[in-house]
Amino acid sequence: MKAKAFAARLALALVAAGNAASVACAADFDWKKFQGKTVTFLANNNPVAQALLAHKADFEKLTGITLKVDGYQEQQMRQRLVTVMNARSDEVDVFMSLPSREGPQFAAAGWYADLTPMTKGAVAGDYDYAGLSQALLKAGTFDGKLTSMPMNIEGPILYYRTDILKKCGVEPPATIKDIEPAAKKLKACDASITPFVSRGLKPAIAYTFSNMLHNIGGNYIANGKSNLCSAKGKEALETYSGLLRDYGPPGVVNYSFQQISALYRSGRAAMSFESSNELRTVMDGGERLKDTALVPFPAGDAGQVPTAIGWGLAVSAHSKQPEAAWYFVQWATSPEIQKRMALQGIAPPRSAVANDPAYRKWIEEEPVRKQWQAALDVLAAKGSSEVGYPIVANPESREFIGQAVQDLILKQKTVDQACADADKGLDALIAQK
Amino acid sequence: MSKAAATFAEDRQRLELAALSAPAVIFTVAMIAFPVVYTVWLGLHSFSSTGKQSFVGLANYSRLLADAEFWHGLWVTIALYVLSLVLQLVLGVWLALVLFHAKRLPGIVRSLFISPFMMPPVVAGMMWLVILDPSLGAANYILQSLGLPPSEWLASPVWVIPTVALIDTWQWTPYVALIVLGGLQSLPPSVYEAAQIDGASAFKTFQRITLPLLLPTIVTATILRSVDLLRFFDIIYITTQGGPGNASNTLNIYGFRVGFEFFNIGYASALMLTLTAIVFGAVLAFNRLRGAVAW
Repeated sequence: MKAKAFAARLALALVAAGNAASVACAADFDWKKFQGKTVTFLANNNPVAQALLAHKADFEKLTGITLKVDGYQEQQMRQRLVTVMNARSDEVDVFMSLPSREGPQFAAAGWYADLTPMTKGAVAGDYDYAGLSQALLKAGTFDGKLTSMPMNIEGPILYYRTDILKKCGVEPPATIKDIEPAAKKLKACDASITPFVSRGLKPAIAYTFSNMLHNIGGNYIANGKSNLCSAKGKEALETYSGLLRDYGPPGVVNYSFQQISALYRSGRAAMSFESSNELRTVMDGGERLKDTALVPFPAGDAGQVPTAIGWGLAVSAHSKQPEAAWYFVQWATSPEIQKRMALQGIAPPRSAVANDPAYRKWIEEEPVRKQWQAALDVLAAKGSSEVGYPIVANPESREFIGQAVQDLILKQKTVDQACADADKGLDALIAQK
Repeated sequence: MSKAAATFAEDRQRLELAALSAPAVIFTVAMIAFPVVYTVWLGLHSFSSTGKQSFVGLANYSRLLADAEFWHGLWVTIALYVLSLVLQLVLGVWLALVLFHAKRLPGIVRSLFISPFMMPPVVAGMMWLVILDPSLGAANYILQSLGLPPSEWLASPVWVIPTVALIDTWQWTPYVALIVLGGLQSLPPSVYEAAQIDGASAFKTFQRITLPLLLPTIVTATILRSVDLLRFFDIIYITTQGGPGNASNTLNIYGFRVGFEFFNIGYASALMLTLTAIVFGAVLAFNRLRGAVAW
């Protein structure tokens, strides 16, 4: 009994000591510690970075650090990063990264600094590390190393026109199997409207296709081999490509988020399966604000397994000032900044921010925002970050997925040929691992 | 001054000139030689997806020979090159003749004629992407207004190469026309006066006099356009990224993706050096042709 009581007291003492150390660490924290330094941030010019950089001056005022922003479009940003990292240059201190895409590759190449010790070291008292989405933190952890801090949460969701569906007597699809009959009815009802649109551009397809595959119950790899030719894989390929071929817009093979949002916003599409990040673009001008509803992608045989990913902020392994870089990462992913970004339409990767009164007020202003947040809650709860193959060569794997889907949209191959060709190439990529 | 003293002064002057120009020469050679030597070195190495490198000798080049995507890219590059070059030369010569003979054409019209090539290719690509959008673009709207069927333009595996060739022709024909116009203005008037006295028709004059005399200028325009067309990248990258499928995947696009999307820098370097060799080969061949048609 005495031993038990001693152990309990010891445990309590250790926890208290740990807490005290943590509090002491937070109390010692000084935002001005790296005053006068310059941190270079390689940014992707997307809405997430734009929302963050709107507050750049506040960071510089708070820390005395000069933030040098090196901004590019997504692919050009990666191109610059590859050049800098291959040269082992310290030109970049912090960069944006998609763990679901390049995470395994960059981690294996040793390009990420390990943030684990930083999150336990110099951390401001109000940072609330535990409040960040644990799923996204896990998605950014490779071989036990935390490689990036989540900036947002996003995933593909279904936008649909309530007025057109009502006019045509179509119920919103509750399952994947409902989409095709709904699209058929819409096509017959109003030929000027595109019944269904999603990504058809080869490198972009994996983002939306993965959601459909997982909902149907398929998976990319089984027993160490590519699994697109499984029954579920073929069903996903046929369903996705069939919807785009028969009910998508002409030229859908060149459609990515820009074209999809433009089509939907202009009122020429009834259903759009596109990123939650596009809410702001789609609602721009206010024309779609009152006639659009949003839901997670309808369930398949495996229910709803939505794709949920997020951009992360990583510190370069070659940075000569990782501590100063961490100050920027910490500030950018803090509850206060993520709240401000949320009010600009960037879904926060923190439940506390999602429940913040100011954010809730913004959400309650429009029914479509409430539905958006509800869809994001499903993404956060059930989401999978698997977009393409979970292998080091993930970006290349997306090419094969996209090629198989395009082959079917363009009727250049049968589903058996398309999946077999893709599996052959993908098996070689998996073997590289 | 004695002969020896004069020779010494000349040698000294030569040395001074060499010393003065040496930094510029060394800088220029280094700026050209270093990237080429570095790319050759990269092409002899293999880089895994994780960036690890190993020396592989000529393995990247033997892989290239067995790579169906390389041969497809070469075919797309050549198809696009031939189609664009022929269109640009024919229309460029025609436009130059129009500008040459239309002496009263207002300056503003002349400027409009030659303005497309001043537009950055990325802007041109974005503009045509919007115009040719099968659902929202103006091109299909015009076709349908005229009772013609709509086209999928850049989204059709069959039409994507002709469409890209048309965009490039729209942009670069005025450039060819400007070069040819310069050539036309330098032709000797006496030859035309003689042809007029002999009673040669306008077509015969063009066929027997203008065209042969213009050939060196046309070959020069061909060399300049060949270098650009064989390295075709920007408009395709903006409009199709090599798609649909691989229908517009030129060698340059393929090499870029292998290097910067799949991080296989070694194989991408081998691809780019091969493309460079093809461009050099074409330039050398046309240079010889220029020598043969010179007058």
